Amino acid sequence: MLRITGGKVYDPANGIDGEVRDLAIDDHGRFVESVDGGRTIDATGMIVFPGGVDVHTHVAGGAINFARAMTPEDHRRTQAFIRTKSRRSGLGGMAPTTFATGYLYAGMGWTTVNEAAVPVLSARHTHEELADIPIVDKTSLTLMANNEIMLDQLEQGEYERAKQVVAWYLWAAKSYGVKAVNPGGVAAWKWGKDAKQLASPIEGYKKLTPGGIVTQLARICDDLGLPHPIHLHCNNLGAPGNIATTLDTLKHLEGSRAHIAHSQYHAYGGDGWDTMCSETAQLADYFNTHPNITTDAGAVLFGDTVTITADGPWQHLLYKLTGRKWGNLDVENETGCGIVPYTYRPSNLVNAVQWASGLELLLLIQNPWQVFLSTDHPNGGCFWRYPEIIKLLMSADFRKECTRKLPDKIKGKITLPEVDREYTLYEIAVSMSAGPAKALGLSHKGSLGIGCDADVVIYNQDDDPARMFGHPRYVIKGGEVVIEEGDILETPQGREFLVKPARDPDIDAFMRPRFEECYTMSFENYPVEMERIEHAEIRECISHAP
Amino acid sequence: MGGKVTCTLGEVKQRADFIVYWGGNPAECHPRHFTKYTIMQKSKFLPRGRKDRTMVLVDIRETKSAKAADIFLQVKPGKDFELITILRAMIKDQHVTDEQIAVTGLSREVLDDLVGRMKGAKFGCMFFGMGLSMTRGKHMNSAALLTLAAEMNAFTKFVAMPMRGHGNVTGADVIMRWQTGFPFGITFNRGYPRYNPGEFSTVDVLVRGDCDAAFIIGADPGATMPQPAIEHLKRIPTIVLDPHVTHTSRLSRVHITTAPQGIAAPGTAYRMDEIPLPLKPPLKSPYPTDEQVVRRINEAIAAKPFWMPEGSQPQMLTAQV
Repeated sequence: MLRITGGKVYDPANGIDGEVRDLAIDDHGRFVESVDGGRTIDATGMIVFPGGVDVHTHVAGGAINFARAMTPEDHRRTQAFIRTKSRRSGLGGMAPTTFATGYLYAGMGWTTVNEAAVPVLSARHTHEELADIPIVDKTSLTLMANNEIMLDQLEQGEYERAKQVVAWYLWAAKSYGVKAVNPGGVAAWKWGKDAKQLASPIEGYKKLTPGGIVTQLARICDDLGLPHPIHLHCNNLGAPGNIATTLDTLKHLEGSRAHIAHSQYHAYGGDGWDTMCSETAQLADYFNTHPNITTDAGAVLFGDTVTITADGPWQHLLYKLTGRKWGNLDVENETGCGIVPYTYRPSNLVNAVQWASGLELLLLIQNPWQVFLSTDHPNGGCFWRYPEIIKLLMSADFRKECTRKLPDKIKGKITLPEVDREYTLYEIAVSMSAGPAKALGLSHKGSLGIGCDADVVIYNQDDDPARMFGHPRYVIKGGEVVIEEGDILETPQGREFLVKPARDPDIDAFMRPRFEECYTMSFENYPVEMERIEHAEIRECISHAP
Repeated sequence: MGGKVTCTLGEVKQRADFIVYWGGNPAECHPRHFTKYTIMQKSKFLPRGRKDRTMVLVDIRETKSAKAADIFLQVKPGKDFELITILRAMIKDQHVTDEQIAVTGLSREVLDDLVGRMKGAKFGCMFFGMGLSMTRGKHMNSAALLTLAAEMNAFTKFVAMPMRGHGNVTGADVIMRWQTGFPFGITFNRGYPRYNPGEFSTVDVLVRGDCDAAFIIGADPGATMPQPAIEHLKRIPTIVLDPHVTHTSRLSRVHITTAPQGIAAPGTAYRMDEIPLPLKPPLKSPYPTDEQVVRRINEAIAAKPFWMPEGSQPQMLTAQV
């Protein structure tokens, strides 16, 4: 039992904006009206937030583990965690080790993370890694938009069957929802091609187009009643002029719920690297007039990182552009994966446009319930740098100071210098916690309301937001004080949320011959066994069909 | 240079119309590889199976695998790196002299033909074995081959993959990576993971006599390591967990018989393409599993005083030295 008294509470899920309130937490780690006994934290003069929720990150599984293997030079120079009685050793940096990932997230007040890209074939591995990430609660999304068994159904116009196939895969992966990466493009990459036009048939198919996949997969997510809508990484990522593709994609989504991942990478104008500019104003306009879709920024911070994505063809291009190491892993029937270390430099015009674009989206999309804090970790920057972004959002002066360091040629390519908006603490609480929790359909997260999970972060009030958000005074996870004054006290095991969408009993018989044709493991061994998921909790599916 | 351009074995089964085995002898060392994953499989894209695929074997001698190959290239021992470098030049139409080619023991005609076939393939895959990665040049040979595969993607789809063996060595790699950031050659002697193959690899630590105890699971260094390493294992308390009595068991202080993985003990094994496979044991064993033994040892260690003095906190290192 725990009481938190006297703090200034920011709880957007319940419309509370900086009021002094007391919180009470019971022995089950949930908020209640009041408790008798137990510890009391006097939070007088402090700021109280719901624990952070990361809607889009890459922290576990084959891809990030590939990135770890490829970057030993970074591990050498990064923050090291020394083993103590409560804490295991590990390394921070661009691709932190699992234990360190939990400590770093909790250390800045984040208590729930969504691993955004899991191939079913290696989902068993992903869950084993997730189990080794302490403290935080977890969800994971299954890569579906290039799954050839599913695409074959869409090609044949078998929508219902495709829906059943998706439901079968989600349960096989013990997943929480659907991720779509470069629909059709990764399948085409299996032949060294890409898919950049929404209306052109995909390599290897006669009729099926990326647009067709987007529309139908979004509908499948709604029809299955998944708590989180389609989580879409659009076609044509990173390319100058891709704003046209992105807007076209959004039109294909009309009538469905959707979450657009890392939209910073999809909001460029121009027709080449020299002329590339920000077109975030157009994209923000679309969001401002379409309240049923959400996005995360995928903001870029200058410095070293490693890019990892299921978008294989894009990574091949990035390898050719940079000449740096290139990892690629095509996954049979399902998806791909590419890894390239990258350094974002303020002196590089393209990088400068990317840096400004991420912030512009966060500032130009008016409703903070629609745009969330993310760097697409580790692609745009590491998650442990979120406090730097918060500072950029909260201080227009600081933004101006940073903008002055960009090359002169940036003039006319970005709109950031004209934006004066400054986030309030309430808006930050929406963007880092309440908003992403709502988008993920995690109604018990991102809220300090009665009955919700008692994930709380308490900050010392500080004029420097980066310092304030980088060093919370207390972090409470499920009612347990895990961080106090910078020390990790407890490292409880988090839970994993997953869904079990309704499916036709005949779907196993339908899948088996198709599966055996293209996979190299036995059908029986493919689904992840429920007992392998540590602290699993099945979340309900409620139909969102119109 | 660096990285790895690869795929899972199902992609090879489905698509690879051009397959190279380099410095390996799958016919004898990975006998199911041809039939399950590579040349013998029919697929949607390669309906005639073996007839739709070309197989090249590169090795220093004509092994049994050569019988299965369409083309056998006998490279001079220790000249793999040169041959790979020449191929990297030739695919880009860079000039290579006859003398340079002669060093490899192959002719220009043969290499021209090979390059033509590589570029003409729709999906090429190169598997490499210890004949490449453990001979003169070692990891530099592997890096060169991986780079060749990466560079081939300028022309067509190409991937490469090491032919790993020895039980679940890939699984050990994968888990060490997510827990420590490194695959092997790790020391925790400062309380956090550091990596330096050649310094912290098992054989180096043993030869230098740096460790004062050894705990061996699922390996038999007493049979495979150099004599100075074995001598040190004899000197120190060595503990072996193994279903069998091994060479290492005979020189150890303690041998604990455990249930064999996959036969009488459940778990996960990672295939050479890093795909995790569940192990479902058909038999029961009177012996405990490795996991049970390690857990009990851990419990006993947890009851001992902690390595740091009570009440002290280690410093977090923001920059390592």
